[in-house]
Amino acid sequence: MKILIKEVTLINTGTNESGAVRDVLIDNGIINKIAQAGTLSDPSATTIDGKKKFLSPGWFDMHVNFRDPGEEIKEDLMSGCAAAMQGGFTGVLCMPSTTPPIHSKAEVEFVLNKTKNELVEVHVAGTLSHEQKGKDLSEMYDMASAGAIAFTDDKHAVQDAGLLTRALLYSKNFGGKILSFADDNSLSSKGQMNEGITSTHLGLKGIPSLAESVMISRDLQLAEYTGSPIHFSTISTKESVELIRNAKKKGLAVTADVCALHLSQDDSALENFDTLLKIKPPLRSREDITALHSGILDGTISAISSDHSPEDTENKEKEFDLAAFGASGLETTFSLTYSSLINKLKIEKIVDLISNSPRRILGLKEITIKEGENANLTLFDTEQEWIVDGSTLKSKSKNNPFTGKKLKGKAIAVINKNKFFLCS
Amino acid sequence: MGALSVKHLLGIKELSLADIELIFSTADTFKEVLNRPIKKVPSLRDVTIANLFFENSTRTRLSFELAERRLSADVINFAASSSSVSKGETLIDTVNNILAMKVDIVVMRHPHAGAAQFLSRHVEASIVNAGDGAHEHPTQALLDAFSIREKLGEVKGKKIAIVGDILHSRVALSNIFCLKKLGAEVMVCGPTTLMPRYIESLGVKVEHNLKNALEWCDVANMLRIQLERQDIKYFPSLREYIQLFGLNKQILDSLSKRITIMHPGPINRGVEITSEVADSDQSIILNQVENGVAIRMAVLYLLAGHVK
Repeated sequence: MKILIKEVTLINTGTNESGAVRDVLIDNGIINKIAQAGTLSDPSATTIDGKKKFLSPGWFDMHVNFRDPGEEIKEDLMSGCAAAMQGGFTGVLCMPSTTPPIHSKAEVEFVLNKTKNELVEVHVAGTLSHEQKGKDLSEMYDMASAGAIAFTDDKHAVQDAGLLTRALLYSKNFGGKILSFADDNSLSSKGQMNEGITSTHLGLKGIPSLAESVMISRDLQLAEYTGSPIHFSTISTKESVELIRNAKKKGLAVTADVCALHLSQDDSALENFDTLLKIKPPLRSREDITALHSGILDGTISAISSDHSPEDTENKEKEFDLAAFGASGLETTFSLTYSSLINKLKIEKIVDLISNSPRRILGLKEITIKEGENANLTLFDTEQEWIVDGSTLKSKSKNNPFTGKKLKGKAIAVINKNKFFLCS
Repeated sequence: MGALSVKHLLGIKELSLADIELIFSTADTFKEVLNRPIKKVPSLRDVTIANLFFENSTRTRLSFELAERRLSADVINFAASSSSVSKGETLIDTVNNILAMKVDIVVMRHPHAGAAQFLSRHVEASIVNAGDGAHEHPTQALLDAFSIREKLGEVKGKKIAIVGDILHSRVALSNIFCLKKLGAEVMVCGPTTLMPRYIESLGVKVEHNLKNALEWCDVANMLRIQLERQDIKYFPSLREYIQLFGLNKQILDSLSKRITIMHPGPINRGVEITSEVADSDQSIILNQVENGVAIRMAVLYLLAGHVK
């Protein structure tokens, strides 16, 4: 397949051509030619007008739930990949919270085999504990040999400090990356939303910031003790940012990502019991948002994820206490990220947070845009305004909190593995 | 007579001061009716009201039902156990049933906060929240404030202490909203573990010493300790709670002034307050019950204006 993108602005190429306007010819999955704008033409190629659009390395989302195996009614690997492409992502890291959890070689291979022909490069995180029960180590080495690149119990946060210590030590043998979702269950127990003024107004049980920061504090000590790197998934509080910032200063190998929703929405958005915004960690305060932004600016937080968590209507359209946590996010993450950060951060930096930076965290190869390289690319428009329409979203689940709302910035097309997808 | 600014009574939060005053003046009228030999008025003939109780209740349900019958409404009652609610589908199914039955007003109590709002988004009927989780219990707050107004002449400028489990109490929350709107000063008093961390954002004073709170207030509203709502232990034993927050005659008599005692019921005699206090002439607990019917008649009557 031949694709010609004309007069497009290249960014984050990994070469000195970043920022240049070029014609790019992709042939058979390889970047065949990058030339002065307006100089290339090929009648046999699908030609796309790239004027006022950007071409960057394919985006990567390091925190998605595709619910397959087990809850295919909410999402399956194919619909998950479709949602990723629609959102502009050519790579994802799947969390292991499936049914059964991805806790052995069999599930890892299942996911990788089933998605090997997809445009989206699907990576897998295996559980850290056997059956995701938080008691004994999972067969991490076996899973790593089968292709798992990270290990985490995801939202089933590891309560047992001894277990996490053993996981951090054990994974050193083969370089498995440990991800931690920080949540002390005894502090967050049965909490429904951020503990704050709004939870007080609504009479809903609060999840204190403390439930997150106490665990981050613990985990940082464990990482220091074991000398192992650790990554914190979807942090949400100002205390967490501060702890991680200090740990980095101290020289610990610690990284963190934040979910795009936490950069723009605060907990007052729940004033009408909107279950679509019931997520974990919960939406926090304005102050926390400010701290998360500053964490991004100074590099404390080095990736933005969607925390894509598809849930069917039956689990969302109900009493707040009973509704499931989680929001569908892959298809709106770029718009949210771009809108909340563009006044503070250059576009190159924003795009890095959702493309090569998460790849670096996970030890994956960075994508560059130059002749001869595999074409793993996202074409996007920062100016396009669009209305989120539930019926055109590719995810099987419709729990996107922005349904019906107008957003700015959108992926136009993705290219990877000699496949091409035009976003609708 | 005016009209309410709302179609539903979901909480005190949504009411304006004018709404509350309208409910009070309407309740004055109905209270007078309740003291006549013939206590029934035809105001809500042809209006169908469904009482949906997804959580145990005796007095609130009876109070609503009596109010509805005094207004000549057609009444249907539905009670479901909490266990079937937790299975999840009940509320949606109930919604559909209500739609099919052409009910005009739904009175609902539910164990989960926000359930009344949820219902109001899905049905045409007017919703009266009879208590949703630890969120709101607006008619209780209205009858409490109405009772204070009756006893002390007005609510504005009065000092009200709410004592007990503030964390799990919809009565406390609705009372705070209502009393603040009416211009009262509000203090909450209870164990530190049962005090929401951000409660002061509602403009209330916080006190952890019962004697101090009582010395400060004109009226003390003694909440029921709801052990059934506490999934974990917030205090070691009732014995200790009583030692710190139980109101007995001795404390009451030691105060430098005579204060008024309220309780939303049902009373755990010997826990929040002793029998001696509950039955003393400083207590207006039974007036609250009587006013409850008048307030609920007023609310239903005024909401029915939106139905017709």
